[in-house]
Amino acid sequence: MTRLIPLLMLIGSALLAQDGSTKENWPEYGGQSSAWRYSALDQVDASNVAQLAAAWVFQTGDNDGGLQSTPLVLDGIMYVSTSHNRVFALDAVTGKRLWSYIYELPKTFTTFYGPWNRGVAVSDGRLVMGTLDNHVVALDAKTGRQLWKVNVEDANQCGCNITAAPLIAKGKVIVGVTGGDSAHRGYLNAFDIKTGRHLWRFWTIPGPGEKGHETWQGDSWKFGGGSTWMTGSFDATLGLIYWAVGNPAADFYGGNRKGDNLYTDSIVALDVETGKLKWHFQQVPHDVWDWDAAYEIVLVDLPRKVLINVSKGGYTYVLDRTNGEFITAWPVAKNINWIKGVGPKGELLGRNEPVVGKPKLICPSIGGGRSWNHGAWSPKAGLFFSTGIEWCQEVTAQPETPSEGKTFFGGTFKLVPTPDKKSGGHLGAYEPLTGKAVWKYEYKYPLLASVLATAGNLIFTGDAEGDFFALDARSGKKLWSFNTGSGHRGSSISYSVNGRQYIATPSGWGSAVAGLMQQFWPETEQFPNGSAVFVFALPEQKR
Amino acid sequence: MKLLIGVFLLHALLLADQAGTSLGTSAVVARGDKLFAQGCAVGYCHGSAGAAARSPRLRGRTFEKDYLVKVIRDGIPNTAMPAWGDRLTDEDINALVAYTQSLATATGDGPAPSETASLAPPVAVKDSDLTPDVRQGRELFYDPQRLQRCSNCHRVQGIGTPVSSDLTKLTRAQLAAEAVNALKYGRPRRVRSIVAKDGDRFPAVLIERGESETRIYDLKAVPPVQRNLPNSEIQSIQQQSGWRHSQAVQSYSSDELKSIWTFIRWAAERK
Repeated sequence: MTRLIPLLMLIGSALLAQDGSTKENWPEYGGQSSAWRYSALDQVDASNVAQLAAAWVFQTGDNDGGLQSTPLVLDGIMYVSTSHNRVFALDAVTGKRLWSYIYELPKTFTTFYGPWNRGVAVSDGRLVMGTLDNHVVALDAKTGRQLWKVNVEDANQCGCNITAAPLIAKGKVIVGVTGGDSAHRGYLNAFDIKTGRHLWRFWTIPGPGEKGHETWQGDSWKFGGGSTWMTGSFDATLGLIYWAVGNPAADFYGGNRKGDNLYTDSIVALDVETGKLKWHFQQVPHDVWDWDAAYEIVLVDLPRKVLINVSKGGYTYVLDRTNGEFITAWPVAKNINWIKGVGPKGELLGRNEPVVGKPKLICPSIGGGRSWNHGAWSPKAGLFFSTGIEWCQEVTAQPETPSEGKTFFGGTFKLVPTPDKKSGGHLGAYEPLTGKAVWKYEYKYPLLASVLATAGNLIFTGDAEGDFFALDARSGKKLWSFNTGSGHRGSSISYSVNGRQYIATPSGWGSAVAGLMQQFWPETEQFPNGSAVFVFALPEQKR
Repeated sequence: MKLLIGVFLLHALLLADQAGTSLGTSAVVARGDKLFAQGCAVGYCHGSAGAAARSPRLRGRTFEKDYLVKVIRDGIPNTAMPAWGDRLTDEDINALVAYTQSLATATGDGPAPSETASLAPPVAVKDSDLTPDVRQGRELFYDPQRLQRCSNCHRVQGIGTPVSSDLTKLTRAQLAAEAVNALKYGRPRRVRSIVAKDGDRFPAVLIERGESETRIYDLKAVPPVQRNLPNSEIQSIQQQSGWRHSQAVQSYSSDELKSIWTFIRWAAERK
């Protein structure tokens, strides 16, 4: 019996281990709430992917800002959102439109953070979405009928809005906000999925009397940014949601916000029921480079319960997700000069800060050592797949006075080549605890689409020139590609209906970082916008 | 050698100045350059010297002067281009127009010479015109640091959710009424009590009663939620809700309510 106990414990922990893989459905933004972006489907695999062919295409009709969404699929119905908060429900087998919804936007307002929407959430027959004018809206998932909407904060006042997909956990719609480059105080809100009633708010910048408030100088906390502009993750066993908080404002000038500026550039773990802070880990105290910690938080059991988060500054952080303890940090980009490295406790070594009135070479560029487009975790390969970007900039800081809801950058930048003149992008397969790259796929431009991993030993993503392609997860060898006519900035998924596996990808060039690329690669100004969902499958006789 | 280069550069600058522009124009463009760097080149906007970013490239493009004035002053609705009319003087806008036009033939990093821009049309009233009391009242009315604030239910000057009445349409007699009492003890007649079939009971403002559903604002939590309730889910709608305006203004002190009243009166008179 004593021998059996360790065995039973092992089995027990395996049963308790988070399974973040998807199967028939792709029910949440990151696949599951652990954000693996990994499909356990293996009908399409490395041996037959060369036969993959288009099954159907859906044109959304709104090219402005491209298509940056992650489609969801539940029980044979695909839900996809586009720029300007349009939602389409499609038959996932044929692409036939079942219903569409066009959110009624005000006639005049400013969409400083762009017109795009990155996804919706569906649960209990309801579909929820954040809007360009900072509302949250719920629809009947069967019909598209609007059930409720609530104004989080007036967009004309805060200069902020919602572009990320909400996270649904325990009947709560948890939704972030943009506004990190404006004079705005960031937050995360939870609403009741049934009624839309507000349940809790977590301010990403503590107010007077709260712990952490002392890390802000004077009134700077009122305008300190700390946006929550992407989607968080949820560990149901621990009852914790994890969110990554963006940069402090002003981005490049910190002279009037002296201090660590909590909880900007931090991973926060919150009690899902109350929104109360359980722990935090700040990646960049007193950020003056615009290095959000905003991206996806991938929950993996190695078997230690860790989270993986790639930051905009180019480092991938691995933390213990039960208590926030720092485990390791490793780079996804070669050209990083804003620090010399990350120390054994997660401390930054050798800060290289912008200076007022004088251009300074900073690598990577403001677009990031990686952009927000998400990585993927494959439990089968035991590898984390992420893109990375090699590019630099000259930053000039300048003091700036905040004006509520208006832009608040504190400086300017200009993209410049990397010192080795090898600017461009890549996709790597990394060992999560060492950062060792098993392979790297190189590309002449930044890769700005998310990564999809499947149990068929495949990695899917798309590039700026419109190629959607599959790599062998074990070698990085390109096995298949299809040009969709417009570049890729969204997130591909996999699902199955009636036993047939499909691979779906948004196609549509656009976005802030795609715009930035024009400074460095002028020809990309001519890359066509688009907004379509392309769906692929093996020919019927091949499967 | 350095001195020689310096003399050469100075000579070149003088030549350029004589060739195409007056000193006055150069100064205007230089001012525009500075403003552009502070407000337009920033972050993800037009990029350094208009080199493009999220917003369109301006370098190497030609724009009509009147168009630029209008766009800078009023913004472009439903895009990322904000209206700068409330933050910039006419001279500032002119300088930005001159600078932007100078980018039409620009090469390299610096601006090229441009024609002199004429004065832009007058701009709307500035924030600085407000008295301290009105300004304080306005800040409190919209205060983003409070979850409970006036603009949750009142829309004034285009900001807020129009759940309740437009306060700028109050009559003279209503505006003259004693401030704090009106805000504190007002008993909004429009608030009903809805009893849903699932037992949920909540205060609400009716927007529209349709054949199959009823549109309401649910006031049980702040901010109010606009809901489309199927009539089949409604047990009853009662006239008396027990909801009091005092619940909505709990976060404000009496002095703060006085400032808010000053702001409302100011906004009503401006209308």
